[in-house]
Amino acid sequence: MVEGSDSYLIRPNHQHKFKPTIVKEYIHEILRERLSGVLYDPESVPELTRSLAETVKDKVKNAGFDKYKLVVQVIIGEQRGQGVKMTSKCLWDADTDNYAADVFMNESLFCLVAVFGSYYY
Amino acid sequence: MQSEKKLTKEDTWRPAELRRHIRDKDSSERYSRHREDTDRRQREGESMERRHRDPDREKLKEKKLRHGDTGDRYAEQKKDRSYDRRSEKDRERRGEEERKKQVGDARNYRETILDKEDFREREKQKDRHKDKEKDREKVRERHSEDWERRREDREKERRREEREKEHRRERRRHDESEVRRDQTEKLHREPGDRQHRGTHDDRRRDKDIQEANRRSEQSEDRDKKQEHRRNNEERERRHKERRHHDEKDERESKERREIKKTDDEVRNSHGNRKQTEREKQKERHKKEEEGAERRHKDRGHSEVAKEDLERDHGEKRSSRKSQSDKSLRHEKMEEETKDDVAVSKQQMMDGKNGGEHVEKAELAEEEYEEDFEDYEEDFEDLDESAEETEDEVHDGKEEQTAQPSKEIESIRRAMAEENERAGTAQSRRSIDREEEEHVSKGSERNQSKISRHGKFIDFVAAKQREVSQKAAAKQKKRGAELLHLIDLDFSLTCSLLDIPPVSEYEMYIKSFGNANTKQAYVQCNEDNTDRDVQTEEIEICEKWTQHPPEFSGACGDTNFSLEAQDKTRDELILDSQQLMSFLDSASQVMVVLLEEDQAEKKSLRKLTTQTDSLSFSDGSLQLNTTLPFLSGRQISLVHFSPGQKHTMLSVHMPKVQASTAHLDSCSMVCVWNIWEPSRPQKIFIYEAEIQCCCFSPGKSTLVFAGTQVGSVVLWDLRENSSNHYRLKIGEDEWTFRNPTFSTDAVMSSPSHASPVASVEVIPSFVAGGLRAEVPLLAFEEGLSFQLASLDESGMLNIWVVVELPKGNEAGSLTDLGLRPGGKVKLLHSSSLLTVQRPLLKVAGTARPFQTLLLKYHPTDSNQFFIGTNLGLVSHGTSHGLKTPPQFYGFQEVEERTVDINSIHFSPFRPNLFLVGCADGSIRLHTVNHEQPVAEWKNSTAGEPVISAQWAQTRPAVFCVLDAASNLHIWDMMKDDAQPLITKKMSTDGVTAMAVFGDSGHQNTYSGIALAHESGKIELHYFTPTLTVLNPTEEGKLESIMTEAF
Repeated sequence: MVEGSDSYLIRPNHQHKFKPTIVKEYIHEILRERLSGVLYDPESVPELTRSLAETVKDKVKNAGFDKYKLVVQVIIGEQRGQGVKMTSKCLWDADTDNYAADVFMNESLFCLVAVFGSYYY
Repeated sequence: MQSEKKLTKEDTWRPAELRRHIRDKDSSERYSRHREDTDRRQREGESMERRHRDPDREKLKEKKLRHGDTGDRYAEQKKDRSYDRRSEKDRERRGEEERKKQVGDARNYRETILDKEDFREREKQKDRHKDKEKDREKVRERHSEDWERRREDREKERRREEREKEHRRERRRHDESEVRRDQTEKLHREPGDRQHRGTHDDRRRDKDIQEANRRSEQSEDRDKKQEHRRNNEERERRHKERRHHDEKDERESKERREIKKTDDEVRNSHGNRKQTEREKQKERHKKEEEGAERRHKDRGHSEVAKEDLERDHGEKRSSRKSQSDKSLRHEKMEEETKDDVAVSKQQMMDGKNGGEHVEKAELAEEEYEEDFEDYEEDFEDLDESAEETEDEVHDGKEEQTAQPSKEIESIRRAMAEENERAGTAQSRRSIDREEEEHVSKGSERNQSKISRHGKFIDFVAAKQREVSQKAAAKQKKRGAELLHLIDLDFSLTCSLLDIPPVSEYEMYIKSFGNANTKQAYVQCNEDNTDRDVQTEEIEICEKWTQHPPEFSGACGDTNFSLEAQDKTRDELILDSQQLMSFLDSASQVMVVLLEEDQAEKKSLRKLTTQTDSLSFSDGSLQLNTTLPFLSGRQISLVHFSPGQKHTMLSVHMPKVQASTAHLDSCSMVCVWNIWEPSRPQKIFIYEAEIQCCCFSPGKSTLVFAGTQVGSVVLWDLRENSSNHYRLKIGEDEWTFRNPTFSTDAVMSSPSHASPVASVEVIPSFVAGGLRAEVPLLAFEEGLSFQLASLDESGMLNIWVVVELPKGNEAGSLTDLGLRPGGKVKLLHSSSLLTVQRPLLKVAGTARPFQTLLLKYHPTDSNQFFIGTNLGLVSHGTSHGLKTPPQFYGFQEVEERTVDINSIHFSPFRPNLFLVGCADGSIRLHTVNHEQPVAEWKNSTAGEPVISAQWAQTRPAVFCVLDAASNLHIWDMMKDDAQPLITKKMSTDGVTAMAVFGDSGHQNTYSGIALAHESGKIELHYFTPTLTVLNPTEEGKLESIMTEAF
């Protein structure tokens, strides 16, 4: 570690930057694998969300976004014809930080996975 | 010493390199190698220690082998224990030292930092060379000289090592497991290590469990861990500085200790410890000072050691007690994981401070070992070290006695808090340290360390807090700096999910719609089907054609007539009135036909019965005058229509005997159809007596009448019966018609003042015109004929018959004589007085002049003939010049005052007319001559002639009725002097007579109607001899006329 205050590494290398498209693909794949044909079951869904979050986190961790703190948010809800609207707001450095989200829907449930990558200076 | 110099070089080496290096060296150098390792381990901290743990063990073994003592193990343990104690004391002292250092001795610290910078490069090289030399020499005299230099070197090295350590620590955090693997590999590699490995493994297992526990606790306050780690780092740095001093001191003191060890190991160890501690202190204060001072210190060393011994004795005992307790507990811990929490807590506390303890402990251990080895070598140092320690003790005592109570108390209080806070929070570092602790030390020692632990926690925690504050400040600063460089912003709100609510229709389709089907919208307009069936009838036309053409044509169309029928039907439906009229006429026709049939049968029967009575009659029929309203009335007149030969009217006089009935006072006119004798077709009534009557020309639609009261009335036969007075008599209903128009209401002067003698239709055509058709046409035009009426005073009025296009049901305001709804009225045209002056003069002589009869020339409307009561027929014209003769008189010149009762023009010769006179004479006149062609007197035996009329079918035949009811039939062809047949109607007097007949070519008939007094009317058909025209007749008549003139 360098001591001088001028030499903080405040920008990630380009290849290490958080790339939403890649992450989104990951999410998409994982959701498709894990959720296709799954019926909504209130008993099992909490565990499912946790495991999904872990899976996604691990996957994204291995994607090589160095010095990124990852927050994975998984929401699974039942499809009952209701309207759902979700938004997020972040206070962050837009140059380095980013997010990726993907939605999976089948007959009985919808699942939203959002991954927020925050750069660790 | 020399080994330390070598260490600097080997510091940076990797374990593998190190091992190689070790191998390279001679067995004789093994000793120094041990030293190097140990030193390095001390400097590098746990990580290095761990790495070189096994070599240490090796050394131990080697030592044991060398000494050849089987019971060495015990001694070793003992040593360890003593070492522990010593290290504890060291720690105590060090804590105090740090206090002091922080308070007053920042100078040293700063110096060391500076030193680091200045000498780093230079010294490194120097050191390396020197170290090598010194390794071999190890001369005590030299030792003192080298001291200073070495110390500086060491400091530098220490700095470097610290940095490295920090790096390594970080690295190790990530790959702890790898390090461990390395260790185990090493363990395998070292052949003589087996025994230790076993124990080591056991311990490690314990530690793993402890670690697990600790980790769970760590998770509680991970944030603190960071601080602790930092604290530990700093602490270690400081400790290491101290340690280096210690090393030096210890090396000196070792010699001394080894001497004493023979006597009492335990005591000696204590002494050594104390000495080293003091030496350390001393050196911290007097880093820059020279060896002279040191020597002085060394001198007093032995004395102080003895004193210390006694002082520490109590502590030692107490620690031993706890030590035994702890040892028990430790053993338990190995077996039972239950106690792990408690133990691990202690160990954690150890861990916090443990870094130093362990290191020191190990250091001590190593030194102990070295002590054996350096036993002889270090002999000379004893004195020096003794002196040093003496000085140290003095200094230490002063400081310790002055400050301890206050400081320690406050620190302890702070510690208590800190401990609670940090108790659970454990850095990994500390864990690692503990692991090494366990591995490198014997269980005994480990426990002893734990037992003494409480004392040190206070101090370290306080320091930690300070350090953590520092670290926090640093962190904060870093954060602030970074914030300048970074722009944080509120990113736009990103919509993560937006599922619109499902509409009702979608829901319906979802739940009820078929799977795998899609909804498509097609406007098929199923409900708007348009069915079109052609139900119209097929049009069929029938046409015919014939070749060669016969009858009416070569081709025809039956359909046309059908359509015409339809049309008429529609019209009939639409116009009920027209239907009524049609039915009226049609029914009339039907009735006529039926009655004809009946009448013919009757007449045939009658003929057979009556042929005897009436020789002239070929048959007769009787009109039904037995109707109740006609009974008792005398018939004054019978008249046939000139146009319609079969239409006849009869005028019935009012009843003689007066009655209350309305009808009785009225005169009646009945219109008959001779083919329908059963009942009269129309019945007219009028209040006054009717003098004369006539039909309209052509079609007999109008009937005119002149009355006693001087009025001229007319009836319209076409008027609907519903508009007239109806009376039901018996079973039948009769309609009595009042006049359509009456001149009664015409108040103007020209109306007649005397009874109307005669009404006559003025022929509308001039002489020589077509006789048959023109009047008909004229009538159809409506207003085409005039009516003349003559009253007895000789006043002739001419009226124009006007037919209104539309009748007014409400009645006319101007024409008061017009009946409401009536359509025909009379307009007065002109009037003339027909009486001539000579006639008046003549008349005056005899009797009042009367005009009795009016006739118009059948072919000349301008000429009219008036029968007078003077036996003369006056000849006049309506306009223009008078035509001669003025009068038609008798053959004799003398005048006879007789009434002329009848004038009748011949239907064959318009210029020829018969005149019947009241004296019974009959005259035949031509228009052109005043005198008659022939005159028959006394033919009626003096009876007045009532009527003389030509037969309609034969020009030479005429009939005469006299007042005695004798009927004379003349046939001039057979006899021109007397009547051919004279028939006396004796039984029932005849009041009126009329001749009828049709000279038409198809059905020639003629007859005579006789009105009897009884009121019945008989129609007699003439026999064919009287009916059939003789072709020579006209010539005969001509000859008669020419004969006369």
